[in-house]
Amino acid sequence: MPMKGRYPIRRTLEYLQKGDIVFKNTVKIMTVNYNTHGELSDGASSFVFFNIPQIQYKNPWVQVMMFKNLTPSPFLKFYLDDGDQVLVDAEGKDHKDISQHVKKILGKSEEVLRAEELARMVHSNPANFGPKKYCLRECMCEVEGQVPCPGLIPLPNEMRGKYKSQMKGTEV
Amino acid sequence: MQFTLFDTSSETFIMSVKSVSVHAKWIVGKVIGTKMQKTAKVRVTRLVLDQYLLKYYNKRKTYFAHDPLEQCTVGDVVLLKALPERRAKHVTHELAEIVYKVGNVIDPLTGKQVAGSLFRETLTDSMENPAGSLTEKLQELNISATSEILQKPSEV
Repeated sequence: MPMKGRYPIRRTLEYLQKGDIVFKNTVKIMTVNYNTHGELSDGASSFVFFNIPQIQYKNPWVQVMMFKNLTPSPFLKFYLDDGDQVLVDAEGKDHKDISQHVKKILGKSEEVLRAEELARMVHSNPANFGPKKYCLRECMCEVEGQVPCPGLIPLPNEMRGKYKSQMKGTEV
Repeated sequence: MQFTLFDTSSETFIMSVKSVSVHAKWIVGKVIGTKMQKTAKVRVTRLVLDQYLLKYYNKRKTYFAHDPLEQCTVGDVVLLKALPERRAKHVTHELAEIVYKVGNVIDPLTGKQVAGSLFRETLTDSMENPAGSLTEKLQELNISATSEILQKPSEV
């Protein structure tokens, strides 16, 4: 059974995670002005259709707003943390050109992304046991080949402290 | 981030002020109400992913912004800046600038007034030197009238 809607691939996690653009920390708001009809606005409207979900997925703390049919020319506007504003003209451009341009001016570069990923890997040691939020495993009983959880399957008598103390008491 | 310092010498608590009152420092929203004095009610929409459909939808939130000069009208698109401390129980932001004024949108690329997909042409031709053009027109009329009177007897 196929997915509903046109280009339903936009609604898959794999597509969202493949987003290129990760904004720098100073970018707070992104605004896209485009027109619904008109050829000049085609690039901007396809940018909104295809690339905005990817951008929002990769940058959950950036506010993205769309404005339709406000001005005759399509453009993008970014509001940075210092109060600076960046205006990007999108008239007559293709959606790939727009996204590459945006990545070039306001996106984190490949090296920065790789360095951040390394830092995250170093920070989280997979050998640690702890809460699911921070570590992979919580208890040794979850590992295959180790003693299973006594909550599910009772331990053999040799390992039970209660039984051992009882035997000691009866012997002596 | 709030923390208290206990000054042992004078035995008084020194409370430090919160660095930012809200998480969002800059916000863009639409004004929905101006009935409060010097305060604008602003609706901010953010895109939130629906977990099952994996599609983004607008989620609304209202903020109250301090507007000392009462410049906002309902329908303006407005940029808000977070205040360093909370001004009132609900007012956490202040008006930084009006991005698009309702009925008077200015295209940032050209700087001209715009309405939808058309440019609003300001009426410059009729406004330039109204007195000068009127007197010129009167003189022209006088000249044409006298010329006709002169011509009439000759025709007949």
